[in-house]
Amino acid sequence: MTFQTVTNELLEGFSQNCQLFFMTLLFAIPLGLIITLGSMSKWAPLSFLRRFLPVGEAGSSVGRFFRKTAVCIVNFKPIRCVTRIFVWVIRGTPLLLQLLVVFYVPGLVFNYPMTQRMPAALVAFAINYAAYFSEIYRGGIESIPKGQYEAGQVLGLSKVQIFFKVVLMQVIKRIVPAMGNEIITLVKDTSLARIIAVAEILKAAERFSARGVIWPLFYTGAFFLLFCGVLTILFGYIEKKLDYYKG
Amino acid sequence: MYMLEAKGIKKSFGKLEILKGIDFSIARGESIAIIGPSGSGKSTFLRSLINLEKIDGGDLVIDGQTVVENGVYQKADEAKAAFNKLGMVFQNFNLFPHKSVLENIILAPVTTKKMTREEAVPLARELLSQIGLSDKENAYPYQLSGGQQQRVAIARALALKPDILLFDEPTSALDPELTGEVLAVIRRLSEEHMTLVIVTHEMGFAKEVANRVIFMDEGVVMESGTPEEVFEQTKNERTKAFLSKVL
Ligand SMILES: Nc1ncnc2c1ncn2[C@@H]1O[C@H](COP(=O)(O)OP(=O)(O)OP(=O)(O)O)[C@@H](O)[C@H]1O
Ligand SMILES: [Mg+2]
Repeated sequence: MTFQTVTNELLEGFSQNCQLFFMTLLFAIPLGLIITLGSMSKWAPLSFLRRFLPVGEAGSSVGRFFRKTAVCIVNFKPIRCVTRIFVWVIRGTPLLLQLLVVFYVPGLVFNYPMTQRMPAALVAFAINYAAYFSEIYRGGIESIPKGQYEAGQVLGLSKVQIFFKVVLMQVIKRIVPAMGNEIITLVKDTSLARIIAVAEILKAAERFSARGVIWPLFYTGAFFLLFCGVLTILFGYIEKKLDYYKG
Repeated sequence: MYMLEAKGIKKSFGKLEILKGIDFSIARGESIAIIGPSGSGKSTFLRSLINLEKIDGGDLVIDGQTVVENGVYQKADEAKAAFNKLGMVFQNFNLFPHKSVLENIILAPVTTKKMTREEAVPLARELLSQIGLSDKENAYPYQLSGGQQQRVAIARALALKPDILLFDEPTSALDPELTGEVLAVIRRLSEEHMTLVIVTHEMGFAKEVANRVIFMDEGVVMESGTPEEVFEQTKNERTKAFLSKVL
């Protein structure tokens, strides 16, 4: 078993990791933005009830309790609420478990078995990473001072113009380090896809170790290291590009 | 006819009434200074005039157009056109940090299609030479002193050729030795008969530049008159008490 044949087989496996990596980014980056919009939604369909709220302090503690409850109902934002619960569930459970759910649940519950492993992995990864990205986006958007929006407004810009011309570049600059972190984590997470038998690099290495050849398993580390090294350099370059201003 | 007229402006934050029925009017070419203790509602009032705060009651007429009647706002696009006749300069400048000085100035005129880039750039250069910052057009805000940033913010507001310019404590965030250069720019605007409303703690400046001084306290206009009437001949106890503290 030559070094060359091992390298070739591992490369074949790693191409699966790369495919999953790039496809996940392709879907998760925009999907994350949609989740962000949901988690920042201000839509409160019951706010028209506000004028029925009793004015003034309620005297008794029971009265105060009912007033507080009423205020909660009036301010209820269903889109925000549903999106944040969704993000909590996705971030609060292991990606490994989510892979299993996406792969097996359609067959078990809806009698619609998943036959293709890669698309199933992609669905789980895209949703999982979109949830993480959405929180990074939200943090970035919320970190922009209110004064930037107000300056845009008094200069006659519309909300959309303010977002694209004033806020977006500043948000991008602020989220690049966190996104870099998350994307480097994604490189290594792709090997989790072997739990649903995607033929990724660790799976390929395990075929060797099953035959008693252990070293290819450790050799896989070199592939990840190399890929992450390239990404580190790329993100360093982007950060430097965006360093033309402070703040 | 008045350039801007406000009648009985009311505004509450939650249960707290901040503006308790403010009457205010300004004719074209007038400079009005608003003074008063901290928390009296000066900023809230100024922000209400330019739609950064929604008022709860009263009327607002801009350049003959009724924008708010009895606390009810006119349809969005008509109101927006009226509010766009006003410009505002903030205490902490709110320049766009990712844009150069020149880009800060031309962003709004070009984005709102008020001017082409070819028209906006010479205008921006002209404004920069008026405020003595011609050599800074390619600098970024972080490279400028506070006084320079505030002068750029004034130029940015002027590029839209507003009918009225509102200033909210334009020198309060500056080191004392930098206030002079900003006040000089505002003084010149007043000499050119630009219509100005200036909230300020600089009593000397108010006395010198304003045609009229308004003293606000606890959400009402306590006193209004010429600088002599307010600063030297006032009979109002509250005004006297305030002036004795700040002069
Ligand atoms: N967004 C807000 N929510 C709740 N309360 C607010 C808000 N903005 C202002 N206030 C309150 O309104 C009152 C008046 O504030 P405002 O900023 O208008 O005063 P000011 O006269 O400009 O004071 P200063 O001289 O300190 O700038 C203050 O008590 C302030 O706490
Ligand atoms: Mg203020």
